[in-house]
Amino acid sequence: MRQPAPVADYLDALARDLGFDPSLAHRVRQEVEDHLWEATTANGDTSIEAQARAVMNFGEARMIAGQYAALSLLRQARRSGAMIVLAAGALYVAMKGRVAWYGLMQWVLSDTLQPVGKVVLAIDRAAYILALLLGVVGWAYISSRRVSPRFDTACRSQLRWSLGLVTAAACPMVVSVIADAAVTALRLLEERPPISVCGIPLLSITIEVAVAAVLVMAIGKTLRNTLRASSLLSN
Amino acid sequence: MLKGHLDMIVLAALSRGPAHGYAVIQEIHRRSGGAFELPEGTIYPALHRLEQAGLLSSQWTTAESGRRRRVYALTKRGTRTLAEERAVWLRFADAIGGLLGSPGHATTRTSR
Repeated sequence: MRQPAPVADYLDALARDLGFDPSLAHRVRQEVEDHLWEATTANGDTSIEAQARAVMNFGEARMIAGQYAALSLLRQARRSGAMIVLAAGALYVAMKGRVAWYGLMQWVLSDTLQPVGKVVLAIDRAAYILALLLGVVGWAYISSRRVSPRFDTACRSQLRWSLGLVTAAACPMVVSVIADAAVTALRLLEERPPISVCGIPLLSITIEVAVAAVLVMAIGKTLRNTLRASSLLSN
Repeated sequence: MLKGHLDMIVLAALSRGPAHGYAVIQEIHRRSGGAFELPEGTIYPALHRLEQAGLLSSQWTTAESGRRRRVYALTKRGTRTLAEERAVWLRFADAIGGLLGSPGHATTRTSR
């Protein structure tokens, strides 16, 4: 039969409840381990009872994890908000670079591609502007939030809004990148220029797709962590 | 009673020098005469929050026991914030004392 180990069991439970932020869980586990052993041995006693007393005085693992959740998840949301703004900047530079290159090469859309190109570019522009506006609003909203000391209803609502705005900004940004990729692919497939000419458009599109992919993954991770925290810490 | 004041209490506990979480709790207990009964674990999210806000800095050290230990210290901004909070608190305590008519205040007022 397994010997009771209150400190080790408590640390496992706390690390599990902090599963929404693995690096934080690792740090907190080490810090709390030091505390609990310090408290256990304070009276020169390392018995199971002394361990249980130290654990009891420390407080319920779920409550402690909840206090960390508010800070950690808002930080993750802030990071996503900043990424949206940075991604918008990176996409702008890539788009402008590609357009400048087309100008330099005097590479215009053929008559057959003009109508399609116009529609796709209009979608691209509208989607980009929408993404930028939502991104800036989202970033401003998230940056102005105060960190709640508890993972309570107000904190959850704040996170829902933050992540909603960030996701709402990411969706048109992805549409904009798809539109850019579509127009570029049409150009390249129609004219099949040498690699020395199509290198810059290909590179800029690769950058756009990579930026969008990193952004989607980061937001997805934050959303998953928030959902995980909500399900773990809900009463 | 502690609600809303925990950050100030933690900053005050660190005003005499760097300390790890357990020592911060001991310091609070000692200086408050054991007046605050709070789950010890609530100090750690507060320390983390204050560090994120730039009011504390921290670093890992190794304790005599060989365990890893996180030691916290007030930053310049933390020291400034504590001084501001202390001034606000003293004004507040003075005003409340006056309103409630504590003996100290009654004497002060009559002697003027």
